[in-house]
Amino acid sequence: MSAPPVAGERGRLRAGRVLVLALPYLWLAAFFLAPFAIVARMSLSDSARALPPYAPHWEGLSRLGAFLSALDFENYALLASDTLYLDAYLSSVRLAAFATLLALAVGFPLAYAMARAPRQWQPALLVAVILPFWTSFLIRIYAWIGILRPQGFLDAVAQGLGLTDAPLGIMNTDAAVLIGMVYSYLPFMVLPVYAALERIDRSLLEAAADLGSPPWKSFWTITVPLAAPGIVAGCLLVFIPAIGEFVIPDLLGGPDTLMIGKVLWTEFFSNRDWPLSSAVAVVLLAVLLLPVIVFQRALKAREGSR
Amino acid sequence: MVRKFVAGAAIAASLVLPASHALAQQPELKIFNWSDYVDPAVLEEFSKETGVKVVYDTFDQMETVDTKLLAGKTGYDLIVVTASFLPRHIPLKLYAEIDRARVPNLQHMWPEITGRLAKYDSGNRFAVNYMWGTTGIGYNVAKVKQRLGDAPVDSWSIVFDPAKLSKLADCGVHVLDATEEMFPAALRYLGLDPDSKKEADLTKASQLLQKIRPHIRKFHSSEYITALANGDICLAVGYSGDILQARKRAKEANAGVEIAYAIPKEGALMWFDSLVIPADAANKEAALKFIDFVNRPEVAAKNSNFIQYASGNLAAQKHLDPAVLNDPGIYPKPDVIARLYTITPYDERTQRTVNRLWTRVKTGR
Amino acid sequence: MNQRTARKAARRSVGSVRRTCAPWAEPGARPLVEFCSVTKAYGEVTAVDRLSLSIYPKEFFALLGPSGCGKTTLMRMLAGFEAPTSGDILLDGVDVTAMPPHRRPTNMMFQSYALFPHMSVWDNIAFGLKQEGMARPDIKARVEEMLALVRLEALARRRPDQLSGGQRQRVALARSLAKRPKVLLLDEPLGALDRKLREATQFELMDLQADLGLTFLMVTHDQDEAMTMADRIAVMDHGRIVQVAPPEEIYEQPANRYVAEFVGDVTVAEGTVTGIAGDIVRIEAAHFGTLEIDEEEGRARMDAPALVALRPEKLNIGHDEPPQTVNKVRGEIWDIAYLGDFTMMQVKVGGDDGPLVKAAIANRSRRMERPFAWDDIVWLWWDVEAGVLIDP
Repeated sequence: MSAPPVAGERGRLRAGRVLVLALPYLWLAAFFLAPFAIVARMSLSDSARALPPYAPHWEGLSRLGAFLSALDFENYALLASDTLYLDAYLSSVRLAAFATLLALAVGFPLAYAMARAPRQWQPALLVAVILPFWTSFLIRIYAWIGILRPQGFLDAVAQGLGLTDAPLGIMNTDAAVLIGMVYSYLPFMVLPVYAALERIDRSLLEAAADLGSPPWKSFWTITVPLAAPGIVAGCLLVFIPAIGEFVIPDLLGGPDTLMIGKVLWTEFFSNRDWPLSSAVAVVLLAVLLLPVIVFQRALKAREGSR
Repeated sequence: MVRKFVAGAAIAASLVLPASHALAQQPELKIFNWSDYVDPAVLEEFSKETGVKVVYDTFDQMETVDTKLLAGKTGYDLIVVTASFLPRHIPLKLYAEIDRARVPNLQHMWPEITGRLAKYDSGNRFAVNYMWGTTGIGYNVAKVKQRLGDAPVDSWSIVFDPAKLSKLADCGVHVLDATEEMFPAALRYLGLDPDSKKEADLTKASQLLQKIRPHIRKFHSSEYITALANGDICLAVGYSGDILQARKRAKEANAGVEIAYAIPKEGALMWFDSLVIPADAANKEAALKFIDFVNRPEVAAKNSNFIQYASGNLAAQKHLDPAVLNDPGIYPKPDVIARLYTITPYDERTQRTVNRLWTRVKTGR
Repeated sequence: MNQRTARKAARRSVGSVRRTCAPWAEPGARPLVEFCSVTKAYGEVTAVDRLSLSIYPKEFFALLGPSGCGKTTLMRMLAGFEAPTSGDILLDGVDVTAMPPHRRPTNMMFQSYALFPHMSVWDNIAFGLKQEGMARPDIKARVEEMLALVRLEALARRRPDQLSGGQRQRVALARSLAKRPKVLLLDEPLGALDRKLREATQFELMDLQADLGLTFLMVTHDQDEAMTMADRIAVMDHGRIVQVAPPEEIYEQPANRYVAEFVGDVTVAEGTVTGIAGDIVRIEAAHFGTLEIDEEEGRARMDAPALVALRPEKLNIGHDEPPQTVNKVRGEIWDIAYLGDFTMMQVKVGGDDGPLVKAAIANRSRRMERPFAWDDIVWLWWDVEAGVLIDP
């Protein structure tokens, strides 16, 4: 044991500890709160012919009153009054929820097979799941265009097998968007679910069997509850980016595909309405926070019951 | 392995050292242009002649440029901007005025084009036309013939008459996802002023668009190039240059897809891609030199021959490849040019209205 | 092994509930578990090799051996987690070889306990009962009975991660007992407990087994554990059973050198039989001189090589030469290990290349002065009953 530090040293130690603890908060403040504040303030402004294209602009503390009085909730009122936005939010939630469920339906068996595979294979399987990330996202979506387009690969296969004569007509529909989203976000589902499944002690399933539970029943009473944190994490990791997605609906979707990410893109880039698109973004964030808060509450409730 | 590494290191060194050396002395010109929109030889010749190093970046969406400009600094010395953006940007003092005395080759410009461009940039103070074209109809010759018979494709009716368009729905129709293209065309078809800002007119146009919407596979401003070339769709409302590019690709692929471009007889919208110098450009001097260089008639012709777009430079026509000059899709006949129209931008309020109308058209709600 | 003897004596004196139980020896006894020439091979490796074994009702049976001897595989085959490569397993006369684990009337207490981390103690214990479709009130009654049995009534609502190691062990035990299995399988049941707790738990397990009248099959690598708890022990080596016998017999009559050396400390003298007179066998052994041991007639053959096992606690040690003419050897003390209840000496006999012989002396008095010191020249001697002839 070394001698206790003298007062000055102890003070420095404490300062160091405070700094280390504060670091994540500083990071959050600098890279999340500050940008969010900028977006939130922009959402209260009005679109204008100015640089950047909104008003009012910050003109120092002396004009604070004028600045604040020029801010209003007009954009939010517009979002509420025009059913287009509500429709877009709802349709995004619906598509994202669908994509999440499909990703779970595809990803869970995949993760399960990986977790049950011989241990020496698992690193290779993990790499295989991550492998698509090594190619550009856009190129992979373009590849799907090649597969789904009329007379594309899928049609050729379906017709080759004699399943159908007419083109399947999947391209430029919500189905194509779902396929694209499930494909793109599958690794985000597989990895956390795999991590959760892999941690489950196999002797628990043996114990369940030993106590008279057939395998299918043990799956629901043991495997699923224990993998629940991974499943929830995977669902959030798929749902959150999917709801704001605009590249996939843009490339694979059709005129019927209405997604809030695309609406936001249009408001920002095509309509140059930065304030309105900021309002769309703020509301989107609120929509996204909801499932996260629900999840946190559920976790806390579970901890609390212990 | 070792030899490879040594060779790699040597190359890396040879790249880094002279480059950092050059950075200190050689002047640079940073250009921001559409992709595939210049003959690389033109850039090389310019560098050789002037000793100015060209840094050439490309974009494929005007919105990218617009956002960069509106957000403040772009970092470029010369940008190619579509004319419809000019009236919005010029009052914001985003551009430096072109010192015409320093650009003697502007004497070769095509008055017809310069005059129309003046609608967007009064007095031609900030923008110099680079290339121009039209917004018309691209189509798959065989598939349209199969569905609509031998009647020539020469009218907006093929798009705006639901009876006709519905026959093409099964093989695919794309239209531009752009209000400033689709509303004027609809207005023109209805016999209204394509530049109308009246809400009643715009509503009529949107009702027309609503009617044809069920037969449209996609609203998109670039995907039709590939889709046409691959034979995935049989009709697209798009930019002349893009459709001609699709025609070229289809021909090169040699898969039996023949694409044609038509300027409807009712008239079509003209578009202008123009060279502008951002107000905060670091090397305005070089930018002016470049504008002068690309407007030398031989150079302008060389560029047009390569990218197959109509040049805003009249004197260049003497040096043009006849195949380019005589292509009515690139250089329409004078009577067709006479029917082409231009529009002025919507004000903020109207723009919002049009946007809402357009979104409803697209989503069918 | 004085420790063990002392403990057993102590228990008897406070009134043990343990009966003298030897169902395997009763005439007409029907085995509860039968392994019939069971083999389990993993590719080239044979974990269990043509093994046959019978376990009788109400026995506390231990499979003892080093890790990798096949004892765990044998137990897992009985539970149904592994299928034999060949051979049959009978449980209560029924062939269960192909029966999936969830249908077998056995329950297992896992070495890791394998408690369901997302369930309370109560739900863990009730899990097996729910699978049976037992009525709710019955489940409640049984769980409460089990909780009382392992004295965990107060912790029923806790989750496994809120329990101590000993408490978890008891939950695992209660869970595996809840269904009243025909055979309870215990996989290293005390392995994860510290020494004090382990000793206390050993007796609790024995009492439970006796009270409930159940058959226990335990796997362990710990000879103390096996000796303390089991009615019979099967010592395993390389997938085969070397000896099945009650603990006393395993210790005092080890079948061969492997058993003798695995269970307890031993010195083995190698020699040749030079004389047989009734039940006294005379052996000439290098470094040990002449040995005479009391053996069953017919165990030894003249002029045959012979191994004699000598347990440390059966040797006497002294500075003076004993009067007897055989069963004595002179040596030098190489090592003294004071272990509290007794002291273990290592004596080098027969010169520098001779063997080290282990001899234990009980520390009967608290006097500090020790009678022996390093490098002392001492004599070791023993009775004719001390040594035992063993197979190689």
